[in-house]
Amino acid sequence: MLIRVEDLSYTYAPGTPLERVALQGVNLEIGPGERVGVLGPTGSGKSTLVQHLAGLLEPTAGQVWLDGVAAHARTAAARARRQRVGLAFQYPEDQIFEQTVFREVAFGPRYLELGAAEITARVRWALEMVGLDSPAMEGRMPLTLSGGEMRRVALAGILAMRPEVLILDEPTAGLDPRGRRELLGRVRAWQEQIGFTLILVSHNLGELARVAERAVVLARGQVVADGSARQVLSDGESLRAAGLDVPQTVALLQALRQAGWEVRTDRLLPEEAVAEIVQAAKLGLAKSVSLRKPEREEARL
Amino acid sequence: MPPFIEAHKLEYAYPLEGGKRILALRGIDLAIEQGEFVALVGPNGSGKSTLARHLNGLLLPTAGEVRVGGLLTSDSRHLWTVRQQVGMVFQNPDNQLVASTVEEDVAFGPENQALPPAEIRRRVDEALGVVGLNGYRTHPPQMLSGGQKQLLAIAGALASRPACIVFDEPTSMLDPPGRRRVLETIRRLNAEERLTVVLITQSMDEAAAARRVLVMHAGRIAMDGPPVEVFEQEEQLQALGLDLPPVVEIAHRLRERGTPLPTGLLTVEALARALC
Repeated sequence: MLIRVEDLSYTYAPGTPLERVALQGVNLEIGPGERVGVLGPTGSGKSTLVQHLAGLLEPTAGQVWLDGVAAHARTAAARARRQRVGLAFQYPEDQIFEQTVFREVAFGPRYLELGAAEITARVRWALEMVGLDSPAMEGRMPLTLSGGEMRRVALAGILAMRPEVLILDEPTAGLDPRGRRELLGRVRAWQEQIGFTLILVSHNLGELARVAERAVVLARGQVVADGSARQVLSDGESLRAAGLDVPQTVALLQALRQAGWEVRTDRLLPEEAVAEIVQAAKLGLAKSVSLRKPEREEARL
Repeated sequence: MPPFIEAHKLEYAYPLEGGKRILALRGIDLAIEQGEFVALVGPNGSGKSTLARHLNGLLLPTAGEVRVGGLLTSDSRHLWTVRQQVGMVFQNPDNQLVASTVEEDVAFGPENQALPPAEIRRRVDEALGVVGLNGYRTHPPQMLSGGQKQLLAIAGALASRPACIVFDEPTSMLDPPGRRRVLETIRRLNAEERLTVVLITQSMDEAAAARRVLVMHAGRIAMDGPPVEVFEQEEQLQALGLDLPPVVEIAHRLRERGTPLPTGLLTVEALARALC
């Protein structure tokens, strides 16, 4: 599905004392199968934007097109397209309400008026995708599961709709490091296997660096950067101007560069930064690290 | 003098339906001194929040004991003294704001202690000053940003003049600027106001700012030491499902690949200096 956002503006509570402009003239095009990270400080408009992509909000001005149809329109064509956009809000497990895991995951597909066999097949497939496939699990009460398991059940409910676009708003918030790693690994595997468009909203630059190939930065309701994840996430100046942190790998490489090292600064993952530093040291681009290092070590001893 | 907070063979079992119980804390021995800055880390379900709720008597041990300032939390005569000494700030600021303006919200605690109006005023001014929300006294709390709301929650806790505040993942719902401000405030309260701080966090980076890190696992304290020492134990941390802060991970990997680096590098600046 092709998503086109055209001059999109949105104002909350217009004409009241609580009026607040959330989006101002946003333009964006996201093609099928792209992996896009969306970042920006609180209040920058990220959640407002993704709700427009799912057709949940009607633009104050401008338009969001899903394959050429206005996303929020009250037509059969628009509804069909909205059903192909899966949006997981922050803490999606808060919205779980069914009595069993099976019924919870089946809720969306039932709404699509599929046959019983197809619904069962989709629920089983979705639970397998999130790693919760077992007959015992299907009958469990969601509220007796751990937080991480509940989140996976909530995501299975969205996957069971077989979306062409999957939007995840801070999917790993509140999970511990292992839980975060596991969930992100799954998201990447789903994307590779199914090929849907992935839109990931996150404050965690490390996560974005691992999952997204393209990054869009919002600040004060406007797109202030849009490009390859590597380029956007290593542009310290514009990240800081948008009120965001600079990835620690980038900050380190920038500090080394200032000290005269010939290193690239667009290395976002710790292993990439290490490779860059080791290589620079080897090639003698680092003002003879290897010579000076031992002295310093001795001085410490 | 006994430690300010002391847990001895502390156990806690959550009751389940049908008379079953889940043992969340399995024998904790812990001493925290006045003025310490302790970070509490560990995977989900390891017992961090359960332990935190014992430090001011929100939960009472099912076995063993907890003392605050020498007083047993399980002795109901001491409960209010204990709660006055140990404040709590939770993850979601929206759940702990109670009034319609910023200053009324901060006044809530002192008012409940039935203090004279002049004293309440003094404490509200002081608490708002410390967290830097002086300019927002008449604002409705819901108009503040997430980070500001969390600072307001901290001011509310401070107004009761506690000796210690337990922060339960105070930054996990905030954006980077909000996170920085809250963390700086916590650090300053500890360094300048001599507030004892217990900070529960999922971020190893935040834990690195503490002077002592406790790692919890399956209801027990698995590691306890200064951040530098705890982060040295990379394998053990990974076995417990935890990550290293990026800077520490980079330093480890560089060392593995033959770059001689001193230990104890916790910040980008320190690592860059050591490399140059």
